[in-house]
Amino acid sequence: MITGDLQAVALTALLAGVTTLLLIPIASPLAWWLSRSRSSIRSMIEAVVALPLVLPPTVLGFYLLVLLNPESTVGGMWVRLTGSSLTFSFSGLVLASMIYSLPFMVQPLHAAFRAVPQSTLEAAATMNASPWDRWLNVVLPMTLRGYITGAVLTFAHTVGEFGVVLMMGGNIPGETRVVSIAIYEHVETLNYDAAQTLALALLCFSFLSLWAVYRFAGHRFQVLRG
Amino acid sequence: MTMRLGIEGYLERPQFRLDLCLDLDLTKPLGVLGSTGAGKTTLLRAIAGLEPDFEGRITFGSERWSEGTRFDLTPTHRRGIGMVFQDGRLLPGKTVAQNLTFASRRARAVVSSVSEEEVIRELDLDHLMAQMTESLSGGEQQRVALARALLLRPKLLLMDEPLSANDLGHRRHITDCLSRWLVADQTPLIYVSHAAHELAQLTTQLLTLEGGTVKTLGETARLLPQTHAGDQPRAHRAVVVGSDLGQGSLTLQWEEAAPFAAEDFHMGDVVMVRPAATEDSSFGASLPPQAKQDENETE
Repeated sequence: MITGDLQAVALTALLAGVTTLLLIPIASPLAWWLSRSRSSIRSMIEAVVALPLVLPPTVLGFYLLVLLNPESTVGGMWVRLTGSSLTFSFSGLVLASMIYSLPFMVQPLHAAFRAVPQSTLEAAATMNASPWDRWLNVVLPMTLRGYITGAVLTFAHTVGEFGVVLMMGGNIPGETRVVSIAIYEHVETLNYDAAQTLALALLCFSFLSLWAVYRFAGHRFQVLRG
Repeated sequence: MTMRLGIEGYLERPQFRLDLCLDLDLTKPLGVLGSTGAGKTTLLRAIAGLEPDFEGRITFGSERWSEGTRFDLTPTHRRGIGMVFQDGRLLPGKTVAQNLTFASRRARAVVSSVSEEEVIRELDLDHLMAQMTESLSGGEQQRVALARALLLRPKLLLMDEPLSANDLGHRRHITDCLSRWLVADQTPLIYVSHAAHELAQLTTQLLTLEGGTVKTLGETARLLPQTHAGDQPRAHRAVVVGSDLGQGSLTLQWEEAAPFAAEDFHMGDVVMVRPAATEDSSFGASLPPQAKQDENETE
């Protein structure tokens, strides 16, 4: 494997890791709200969260490109704040991956939270447990499997990202050139051996993550079951 | 410390309305009786701050617990209550010991004359401490829930049929211990039950609910026999075929075909017995609560 490919692997792992870590605190309150709310807009929010599951990544990438480029309001603000662009940069890829992988974190958590009965939380409240205390010492232990499932799926799904990266990240070594892009480029340049190595590595990784999830989380996991 | 609980408010649901105006002196333990759907559980839940639909005012001593639509003006976890739900509601995925620790770690910082060991021992939980809550029987779950509520050292104890899944032996022993402990710590108690002997033993005042409103409030000893027999006491002739009054037991046999179905009676029910010699006196003589267990048609 050549140095460029190793760099792509490291970058992919970093992107997936950062995305997963950032998604946990964002998806938790969202999934909690979805599991408890009786609000009429709940189903709408659920649909928005699930959009990346059905939307072609190129569509998502296109909109992100339009929304985040330095000439746009959001992208321009980011440039003024940080001095760097959100498009064709690693931070932009993190943001895009978070949106792209959001359902893979939210849905397992949503399912796990829904399985926490209201009656259990009530009982904890009568034992002088504050909302935080209930969350940490009752909800979290009961939903640990949901968290692990969500983290593994988010990581794996982010590793498998291609279309979004292509649209708004491009192919900058060390910045946006992730494994899937590297494979694409190897094929474009007819370097099939290098493509083969990376593709096989990605295949094995994806299989192992999913296997781990199914073994570990049993039948609780619903994203791939619809 | 004042132990007055004021409840004034209502709660509305499809086909149910709770409407209460009560000022209770809880220096005397209070029993709550009423048929299914009378609002007993809802009342306890409103006091605990678990009924978002409750509108009105709940005060305990000088503390304001609910006010208007703010049912959780003082949220449940700051009320310092202990609650035993009918279905136990233990924390899943934890052992009995962990459930009890969860409570004792969050107990109020008050001195109690009842030790944790004593509670565990008397509720017969020693041998269950390492078990997961999911593996317990209904009765065992209830006893853990009871221990948990006691270990919180609550300033008000709310109990909703806390012993209904236990056998008679456990129920009697536990009510004995409970009445002793509650007196020792002067813990105010509100006790919902259908079991007359539990109410008779644990409470001295009794609130009866009907259709979400207060029907009567008074001394348990005075109210219990009348209320429990239903609105209209039914009289049926039975012949004494055996007695062991030293044990407090009486064996009766119906004169005609049994007027009750087997499921009309539950362990702990109160039956009124009037010796035939007092044929013309008013209906209502009853045995003391301790002597009421085994006298119906079981033999």
